[in-house]
Amino acid sequence: MRSGKTLALGDAPFAFNKRTTSSLMWGVSLALMPALAWGLFCFGAPAAIVVCSSILGALVGEAAPSALRRRFTLWDGSAFLTGLLVGMAMPAGIAPFIPAVAAFFATAVVKGAFGGLGSNWMNPALAGVAFALVNWPTEMSSWTLPNRLSDIASVSGATPLGISRAQGGGFAAIAASSTDSSVTDALNQGLFSLFGAQLPSGYVDLAIGNKLGAVGELSGILILAASIVLLARKVIRWEIPASIVASFALLTWSFGGLSIGDGFFSGDVLFAVFSGSFLLVSFFMAPDPVTSPSSRLGMLLYGIGIGAITFLLRSFGARSEGTAFAVLLMDCSVPAIARLDAAISRWRASRTPAPNGIDESERSGTR
Amino acid sequence: MKPSRTFRHGGIRVEIDCDWEQKKPVQNAFLPNGAIIFLKQHAGRQARCVVRRGEYVREGMVVGRADGPLSANVHASIPGIVRDIRVIALPEGGQAEAVVIALEGSFDRLGRREERYLWPSMGRNEILAAIRDKGVVDTEEPGLPLFDILSEKGNIELLLVNAIESEPYLKAEACLLRDKGEEVMDGVAILRKVLGPKRTVIASSGEKPAGLPLARAGAPAEEADVEYFDLEPIYPQDMPNQLIEAVSGQKPCDAIFIRPSTAYAVHESVVHGKPMVERYVSVAGGALKRPAVLKARIGTPIGDLIEECGGFLGPPARLVLRGALRGHSVHDLDVPVTKTTSAVVALDAEEVGSLWRSPCIRCGRCAEVCPERLDPDMLFRLVERGLRSRAFDLGLGSCTTCGACSYVCPGRVPLVAAFSVELRALADADKGRI
Repeated sequence: MRSGKTLALGDAPFAFNKRTTSSLMWGVSLALMPALAWGLFCFGAPAAIVVCSSILGALVGEAAPSALRRRFTLWDGSAFLTGLLVGMAMPAGIAPFIPAVAAFFATAVVKGAFGGLGSNWMNPALAGVAFALVNWPTEMSSWTLPNRLSDIASVSGATPLGISRAQGGGFAAIAASSTDSSVTDALNQGLFSLFGAQLPSGYVDLAIGNKLGAVGELSGILILAASIVLLARKVIRWEIPASIVASFALLTWSFGGLSIGDGFFSGDVLFAVFSGSFLLVSFFMAPDPVTSPSSRLGMLLYGIGIGAITFLLRSFGARSEGTAFAVLLMDCSVPAIARLDAAISRWRASRTPAPNGIDESERSGTR
Repeated sequence: MKPSRTFRHGGIRVEIDCDWEQKKPVQNAFLPNGAIIFLKQHAGRQARCVVRRGEYVREGMVVGRADGPLSANVHASIPGIVRDIRVIALPEGGQAEAVVIALEGSFDRLGRREERYLWPSMGRNEILAAIRDKGVVDTEEPGLPLFDILSEKGNIELLLVNAIESEPYLKAEACLLRDKGEEVMDGVAILRKVLGPKRTVIASSGEKPAGLPLARAGAPAEEADVEYFDLEPIYPQDMPNQLIEAVSGQKPCDAIFIRPSTAYAVHESVVHGKPMVERYVSVAGGALKRPAVLKARIGTPIGDLIEECGGFLGPPARLVLRGALRGHSVHDLDVPVTKTTSAVVALDAEEVGSLWRSPCIRCGRCAEVCPERLDPDMLFRLVERGLRSRAFDLGLGSCTTCGACSYVCPGRVPLVAAFSVELRALADADKGRI
């Protein structure tokens, strides 16, 4: 400049989209807050301790390997998000060291050891949860009663999904709370009567989160609402959650009724979707771009696989819950999906001659 | 009129609020006290200097003669004394000689009545000679001399006048089409006579400016009218492949793309015998007090234009020529306007935003927006590992370096910067082979 001061040079482009990796991460974390708040409201201090220790574990796990590489990556938000997700998948009364160790494992071993953000091949948060499930199976399935919701009838200490499984499947007959019955009545009279349908009791409790479960997984409604915001803002892409829900719902509807002797096409989709960690995993964990395919077809295949494996694990697995392992299994098959995807697009390109003279076969393999 | 159309794959809507109230018609910028005239404002070799230090030059006098193919004449944009002839850095990289002229004397051209040649009675060669003489080059980088384009081609499929400005901050072409519609269309008519295109299309965004004469008075009946296309200004709609796709849904046949400013320069040179000594420049950006389009003399230091626009609001974070997405950053205010300087953009820190690089998280946004359907993430990984030939197998060669991928990348991975390096290396290698 004329004052003698010179300006910085650089490479084009010089303007950018305002969205950065850290804004994406913090945005997703923010979207999880309503569901977390509901969990804190229900469980109180123990839940806060679980989530805090998990986040702390994740941050330490992120800082340790990045200190070795002399890169400061804490404020990109990815470790915070991992810690938050691990904490939200834990039962409220669990010993605080378990979420901390699980989250540390997630960021330090699953992510950091492979080179940090972007280089891991396994979903860190779910790997952390799986780590805890394998090491502390009893602790991971002893649920604390929510202290705020006195009229919840289930005192057996099992989640709806657990009860359902003990019964051999189907909707877990839990005595509904008074909130549930009044909302169900209102819905039935106001809305469903118009279609000649009726909502049985218990589902409202299930959806709003008036039940036993992990800290952040209680309220399916709040998780869905947050996902809608993220989908609309294109923070997460619709392909993965949609295909997970579609394949899981289809399988549950088709075969879910068999185990309780109801025959085909009688499975309880609503119950299956709203119970356990299904929604949190489908909308917030599985779409992690790092560990999922990046082409549309690949994402759909990945999601369908997760839905199917979840159904199989929930029906025949050793535990009532199977979403976490379903995602981890599909993470392992991402390279195979990529190859399949490339083969399919090559085949499609060879069938349709490129209309505009570009030889698509040269390019199709790339995505 | 045809409804808004655009290309099929990718592209970005740039979310930068940068519109301003433009004075009509566009104002002439103040004459510079000193003009710095690069002898290389075109694709080929730098022009041969034909003036000496201390010599008095009149406005419009040749200061540099074209030297070989793709080179073009360079003219003095102001009258004055040649103070210096020195080598300085070109904003796009490399360096070239420049003639520094200190303003002096009178504008013998400005006061006089304009010459007026009737081009319909001129032959093809006569027109080409005028275009070559007056140093008319394409106003888009790299500034191909129009003579070289025209003398090679004839009876082309499509002549496309590209008035789209899909980058933020650029407004000069739209202003020119609005203010000088008749002159631009006259230039287009001259080009049609030389090139004999089957179709002539004006691609712009928005409604057709009132009074833009699409049918030429006195044209032979078999000559089709110029078609007007209103295209959505999704970036990079102004690139050749995207233009063709939007206009005809096909890959380029035999097409020539020109800017309205190029057509205007053709009109000026052929009809009025005026050399290319001024151009419309968009002077904009968040760091600027009063953004405007100005008609500036070639060789005007950009600092003069910025001063005329009220100066800076605060220290600019980046000073860029030719647009925020495809431009070149410069580090001082003495860089002069050339025939291809379509804009001077002073970006503030907020517009530049965070440059903090984080690793690729494979979000796939780069592939989503790539108008050439490439996978920038994959190409970058290959280039990073030195697997250049593999990257070219996967289509790196069709990258137009539009930078849409880098614009959306949340990790600020220097995608397009790496591709430019590879493409330039390839071009240099090709040059070496010839």
